[in-house]
Amino acid sequence: MDKDELINGYFEGSLSESQLEEFNSLLEKDVAFTSEFEFQKELQDSLKKQERQEIKELFSNLKDENGKTETKVIKLRPWLAAASIALLAGLAWWFLFNTGEINTEELYAANFAPYDNVIQPIERGDQLEDLKTKAFTAYENEEYPKALELFKELQGKHNEAYIEFYKAMVLMQLNKQEEAIPLLEGYIEKGGELKDRASWYLALAYLKLNRLEDCKEQLNLRISSGTYKTAAAKKLLSQLE
Amino acid sequence: MTDRQLILQLKQRDRNALKAVYIDYKTEFLKFMSRYNADTDILEDIFQDALIVLFENAQAGKLDALKSTLKTYLFGTGKFMLFKHFRDARKEVPTEETYLFDKYEQAVIEDVFEDEGLSNYQAKLVANFKKLGDKCREILELFYIQGMKLDEITLTQGYENKDVTKSQKSRCLKSLKQLIGNSNG
Repeated sequence: MDKDELINGYFEGSLSESQLEEFNSLLEKDVAFTSEFEFQKELQDSLKKQERQEIKELFSNLKDENGKTETKVIKLRPWLAAASIALLAGLAWWFLFNTGEINTEELYAANFAPYDNVIQPIERGDQLEDLKTKAFTAYENEEYPKALELFKELQGKHNEAYIEFYKAMVLMQLNKQEEAIPLLEGYIEKGGELKDRASWYLALAYLKLNRLEDCKEQLNLRISSGTYKTAAAKKLLSQLE
Repeated sequence: MTDRQLILQLKQRDRNALKAVYIDYKTEFLKFMSRYNADTDILEDIFQDALIVLFENAQAGKLDALKSTLKTYLFGTGKFMLFKHFRDARKEVPTEETYLFDKYEQAVIEDVFEDEGLSNYQAKLVANFKKLGDKCREILELFYIQGMKLDEITLTQGYENKDVTKSQKSRCLKSLKQLIGNSNG
């Protein structure tokens, strides 16, 4: 059995006892074999985790659709009230007047929640308080002005693309949508990993500033991509039209 | 939909089936688990994790010969996770009969429970994986996530023979490595 087949057999769970022994002994002495196996194992783990993340997003969309939202961020709770008011108000317009008037503030409040920290997992009580950890800790603790300063400092040192995305999140949280928009646009243009998310937040930032045509254009992009927040984008678009 | 149909769909990685299970059992799950005095936030997280375990173990064929109902399996997974959470938090764990999971199933439960999301490197792997062509993504997903054997992939995806499937898979891995190499430099 060649080495590739041993690795395939491992993933299929079809190795016999003697093959498993051979597999293990190669792992101990054959560096190329080990690195090939580790690459494939890492790929498997990554794909699984990615799928789990997507499923959780699906669930949180379901939660939203059921109107039983309870955001993790406590500060946002008053917005829940806004969300239900927006929904009721929306329905009322539809049934009574159908005037087509849109309250962008309420729609924005109903849809905006800052994106989770997916960059720097924070272990509470972590000794290693580097700049990145500090920035994301402030972000998670909703200390937005502090987070903004730290992200700026971090950008001066590393300038990794994700910083722009999270800076934009902070600015939106501080009601500075005008400043968030160019960051999000730039991030999407560069093809940042979270670009689907960025496009959703860009749509919301446009909404807040009453740039409805730009907002609708982004929402349509969300819907046609079929990835992040498709259902929410459809719902919002129908409310806008 | 019957349990059997749901399990078949879960095996095909059909997310709509998973949505259906979520909607059918969420309220009941939270109500049932509330007897253990845990925060609702924790129970909601556990419910989602338990559904992911159900999804993954269905794909691994662990539910093919399920003797209980799907609900019992799901709630049993949730209980297993909650008790693990209690143990980790050094709280008292109720002594009661729990569903018996085999080693593989337990490993999946623990893995989902402890999943802290993608590392930077893993996120890069995924981002580059998404740049691969449809054929490549399909064969790699079937093999690494859905756990199909090369023989099965050959049959269901209409490859000429196992060798063709094997070399297609290794070509795809090579492209992925190249993409990652390029994005590094």
